[in-house]
Amino acid sequence: MTPTIPDTVATLRDIARDAGVTAHVHATRLTGPAGTTSLADTEPVAVASLYKLPLALVWADLVAEGRLAADQPVRLAAPNRMPGPTGVAMLLDDVTLSTRDAVRLMLAVSDNACGDAVLDLVGRDRAHAHLTRLGLPATLVRQGSAEETRAVLRDTGTDGWAAAQRVLADPDRAAETSQYDPALASAATAAQLGQVLRLLWSRPGPTHDTVRDALAHQAWRHRIGSGFPHDDVLLLGKTGTLGRLRHEAAVVRFPHEHPVGVVVLTRAARPERHLPRVDAAIGELARVAVGPLRLADDE
Amino acid sequence: MAGGYPPEVDLLRHLGFFRAVADVRHFGDAAADLGMTQPPLSQGIRRLERHLGVRLFDRDARGVRITAAGQQLLPAARDLLDAADDLVSAARDLALPEQVRLGIAADLEDAVPGLLRDLAAGGTAVAPTVAGSVELVDLLRDGLLDVGVVRHPGVHDGLTAGEVLVVPTRLVGADSTSLGHITLPVAVPPRHHQPPAHDQLVDALRRAGHSGAVVEARDAAQRRALVAAGTAVGLVPVVDGAAEPGCPPLRLRVVLPHVTRRRPEVDHDAVAAAIAAGLG
Repeated sequence: MTPTIPDTVATLRDIARDAGVTAHVHATRLTGPAGTTSLADTEPVAVASLYKLPLALVWADLVAEGRLAADQPVRLAAPNRMPGPTGVAMLLDDVTLSTRDAVRLMLAVSDNACGDAVLDLVGRDRAHAHLTRLGLPATLVRQGSAEETRAVLRDTGTDGWAAAQRVLADPDRAAETSQYDPALASAATAAQLGQVLRLLWSRPGPTHDTVRDALAHQAWRHRIGSGFPHDDVLLLGKTGTLGRLRHEAAVVRFPHEHPVGVVVLTRAARPERHLPRVDAAIGELARVAVGPLRLADDE
Repeated sequence: MAGGYPPEVDLLRHLGFFRAVADVRHFGDAAADLGMTQPPLSQGIRRLERHLGVRLFDRDARGVRITAAGQQLLPAARDLLDAADDLVSAARDLALPEQVRLGIAADLEDAVPGLLRDLAAGGTAVAPTVAGSVELVDLLRDGLLDVGVVRHPGVHDGLTAGEVLVVPTRLVGADSTSLGHITLPVAVPPRHHQPPAHDQLVDALRRAGHSGAVVEARDAAQRRALVAAGTAVGLVPVVDGAAEPGCPPLRLRVVLPHVTRRRPEVDHDAVAAAIAAGLG
């Protein structure tokens, strides 16, 4: 493994300090000679919606092993869904779709209703057993989105998501929630999520292609993508957001270069919901971490 | 000495008598300088002379004159007394742990003296450091401060922070009380003192209709100078008195070392509570 260049780590620290965030960074070349950049990448962090990434890996593995059917219909009845900001979770009526489409919505727009449905289908015990077999900790998927939402409502003493977000974003208080705590929420280190990307990219086959393609369709490119404002650079990513937590795990594909997986997990000092400077800093952290790992794929 | 006991000489004390008399050449005046009466001073000098085996002063009708021997011994006496003073003050410095090493965000400006006076009135001895919040957090992490009052929001991983303290502010040097009508930039501390708090203030200025233009000035004196020169307006905390509605407040938090890394001789929670009460 190429040792991380000290200057790179110092630059990562400076970017984090300037943006007012605590940052955990792990970047790794997914094919070709091994190479890694890291900043505090072995410290557990609550990952918010990033649980959906390892969940998608487990789902695809189970389908590839013939234990689950990708086209199995999933019925998401409106009264049983926890309302959320995107996808099926923001719809009004009952929805039926295939499991693989649920996986695609769960990844491309971080649909909470689909995330919960996929977790139900895979089963928490089976997910944990599989993650353990892969050498990954079960805490990667400790709970789904509905449970996360319920915990935040409880911790903030509110009865709706909008009110809960106002409490978490109040600049005049330091609101805490159990969902910031890696001991209570779905949790991972940046290095472990890098390993999830590595495994996902090492699997051939149509089901894993479906997952990779869904990541390429992620609806926003304001975080890691902001560090790579190049139309010919493909980004396949998944964000995770809750209050002060802003995360993303992504694969960066420059044409004719080895793909590089990069994970940036941040906790902002500022509580506000809209912090473009922090999103841009995540792009900057990713760019600096990926830079030394770029390598032509004919080498 | 009666009873055959050795002379009761307290060497440093009696050398102090020697120096005092040598300085003013008058027993009465020297006694007054030392805050004592003349008889014990004279007695002390006699004991010292007996102990040293030389006469230090000649006393006659014309007054007090230092002897040749006294003149020769005087520099060594002064050196000994100075060394003793140094020892005492060095010991006092070592006793500083009794004081609370308090870091205060420079952003508090004119509220700093009042805060320190409140703490002193409450019986808390403080060794203050006024600096930028990021620097204070580093000092807290390195164990060089006991308590910090830092600007919020900021990163303070590994430390424990209290509730957010919201201190109202008012404009100075402005021709309007409405930020939306002010065209001058706002004089503020350097961004690197606490980047997220700085950014939050700029966003709040824009939200209020101001351009968000700021001048980063290294300290309060520089900010006051800019305001006096009419090139910027000031935004200063108001701990008690007239705040202006619509001005973004100064947010602070009292930050302490992690529980396991606190000096046991300091009552951190009591100091934190006193500060919160003073600013609240």
